[in-house]
Amino acid sequence: MKVLDYLEEWLIATFMAAATVIIFVAVVHRYASGLAIPGLQDWLIGINMSWAQELCIYLFVWMAKFGAAYGVRTGIHVGVDVLINRLNEKVRGRFILFGLLAGALFTSIIGSMGANFVWHLSQTEQVSPDLELPVWIVYMAIPLGSFLMCFRFLQVAWSFLRTGQLPQHDHGHVEGVEEKPEDMLIGEAVEEGEAIEHDPGHKHGGEPGEGRK
Amino acid sequence: MNATIIFVLLFGLMLTGMPISISLGLTVLTFLFFMTDVPTIAVALKLFTGIEKFEIMAIPFFILAGNFLTHGGVAKRMIRFATSMIGHWHGGLGLGGIVACALFAAVSGSSPATVVAIGSIILPAMLKQGFPRPFGAGIIATSGSLGILIPPSIVMVMYAVSTDSSIGALFIAGIVPGLMLAVLLIGTAWLYAKKRHYPRMPRASWVERWQAFRESVWGLLLIIVVIGGIYSGLFTPTEAAAMSAVYAFIISTFVYKDLTIKQLPRVLKDSANLSAMLLYIITNAVLFSFLLTSEQIPQAMADWIIGMGFSPWQFLVVVNVILLAAGMIMEPSSIMLIMAPIIFPVAVKLGIDPVHLGILMTVNMEVGMITPPVGLNLYVASGITKMGLTALSKAVLPWLLVMLAFLMLVTYVPGISLWLPKTLGMM
Repeated sequence: MKVLDYLEEWLIATFMAAATVIIFVAVVHRYASGLAIPGLQDWLIGINMSWAQELCIYLFVWMAKFGAAYGVRTGIHVGVDVLINRLNEKVRGRFILFGLLAGALFTSIIGSMGANFVWHLSQTEQVSPDLELPVWIVYMAIPLGSFLMCFRFLQVAWSFLRTGQLPQHDHGHVEGVEEKPEDMLIGEAVEEGEAIEHDPGHKHGGEPGEGRK
Repeated sequence: MNATIIFVLLFGLMLTGMPISISLGLTVLTFLFFMTDVPTIAVALKLFTGIEKFEIMAIPFFILAGNFLTHGGVAKRMIRFATSMIGHWHGGLGLGGIVACALFAAVSGSSPATVVAIGSIILPAMLKQGFPRPFGAGIIATSGSLGILIPPSIVMVMYAVSTDSSIGALFIAGIVPGLMLAVLLIGTAWLYAKKRHYPRMPRASWVERWQAFRESVWGLLLIIVVIGGIYSGLFTPTEAAAMSAVYAFIISTFVYKDLTIKQLPRVLKDSANLSAMLLYIITNAVLFSFLLTSEQIPQAMADWIIGMGFSPWQFLVVVNVILLAAGMIMEPSSIMLIMAPIIFPVAVKLGIDPVHLGILMTVNMEVGMITPPVGLNLYVASGITKMGLTALSKAVLPWLLVMLAFLMLVTYVPGISLWLPKTLGMM
C-alpha cells in the first residue's frame, strides 16, 4: 500500500516537472534556432520539437487522472457542503458516505467503459499524430486512473466508517509560508518601518510622518 | 422538460456534498443511460479528449508558478516596494498591502494564493503597528481577489476554454478593470483610515524607493514575461505560463534563495494535486456541456429569453444575480465551468461581447470569493488572522459594497473592459 502511495505521488510530481521542462525547452529551441550562429543553427533546426505540445498534453492528462486519485486521498475535491453541515452528525455522516460511494460508483463505471474502449483501440493500428504512439497506450490513463480513484474513494469511505475521519484539504494553506519562522518575515517589515519612525534623521529629507495630506 | 430533469438532478446531487466533479459526471451518465440512446462509450472518449487542448494546460503551469512565488521572497519584496511608495498616506501599511496584492496578482493567477502570500506577511505587521484586526483582514481578503482579475488569471483561462474565446484578449481586457478596482479599494481604505486616524509610515526617500524597486525587480519582470510575451505574440498563453513557472523557479531558488532544492518535490506534488482537481472538474464539466449541447438546451434557453423580449441589460441583471448567488455556495472554477456554456450562447445572441462577458463573470467570481458562507478568500484570511467567519464577513463589508458598485459599472460600461484590447488591436 505504501508503495502505491509513493508511486502515485512520484508519478504526478514527475509528470508536472517533465511537462514544464519540455515546453520550456521547446520555446527556447524555437527562438534559439532563429539566431544566426553558424553550425549551432543548423544543428538546432535539425532537431524536431513539434512533438512537444502533444507530449505535454499527454503528460498532463496522465497527471490529471492519477492526481485526481491522489486528490481523493488528500480530500481536495470540493463539494457544496453548506447544507449537509447543518444537519446532525448522524445524518451528515450518511450523506458523506453516500457521496463517497457515488464517487466510487462513477469512477468504476468510467473505468470499465475506458477499459472497454482501450481494448477496442488496441485491436486497431491507430497512432497519435506527432509522437506516433499507439493510442491505446495513451488512453490507458482513463481505466488506470479511474480504477485507482475508485479504490481511493472506497479506502476513504472505509476509514470514515471506522474512524469518522475525513481527509481535509486546507485550501488556505500554501506550502512554504508557515515553514519559515514567521516572526522573521514580519520582523523585517516592521523593523524597517520602526527604523524610519524612530530615527528622524533617517536618510530622507522631509519631516517624518508628515507626508502628503 | 429535459433541461429541468438535468438541472434538478445536478443540484440534487451537488447538495449532498459530494465533489462537484462527481455530481456533474453522474448527472451526465444517469441522463444518458435512462433518457437517451447516445452510446455511453462516447462519454469515455470525452473524458480524455475533454482536456486534450493545449490552452487548458496553462492552468497547471500557472498553478506551479504561483506555488513557487508564494514561497515568501517575491511577496516580501513587493510589499516593501509598495509601502515605500505610498506608505506615508493615511493607513500606510494597509494601502501598501493593497498595492502589493495588485502587483502579486499580476504574476499569479489565483486569488487565495495572493491572500496567503501578501496577507501572511502584512497582516501581522499591521497589527503590530496598531491597526485594528478587522481593518487589516478586510483589506487583504478583498484586495486578494484582484488575483483573478489582473492577468494572468486561472478563472479567465477556464472561461476562455469553455467558450472558445481568446485567452490573450481576456488577459489584456482584465488590466484596466483590475487597476480601476485596485484604485477604488485603495480609496476606500484611505477614507476609512483618514477618518479613524490610523497610523501612517514616514515618507520614504527616493533612494529607498529605488532600492526597494531594485530588490523587487526580479518579481516585477515576471509581469513583462507573461503579459508582454502573450501580447507581442512571442508565446502562446500556455507557453507563457510554462515560462513563468521556470522563471519563478529560478528566481526563488537561485536569486532570492527562498526555496531549497529539497522542497522542490513537495511544491511539484502540491501543484499537481491542485491542478489535477481543477482538470478533473474541467473534464466533467466538458461532459456536462456536451450533454447540454446534444440536448440543445443553451439554444432553447436563448430562444426562450429572446422570445420573452428581454433586453441585454435585463439579461445581465439576471446573470449577475445568479452568479452572485452561486458565488455564495460554490468556488469560482466550478461556477465558471458550469455557467459559462449556458450563459454564453444567450449573451452572444443578445449582442453582448464575449470578452466583456468574461470580465463581468470574473468580477462576479471575485465578489463570490468574499461572500459567506463559502468564500475562499475569507477562509484563507480567517486562517491567517484567527478571526471567525462572521466577524470577517463584517470586516470586508465596506470593500464588498465598493466591489458591488464596481460590478455594476463593469456590467453596464463595456468600454472599461473592451477599450484596451480594442486599442491594441487584439479583437
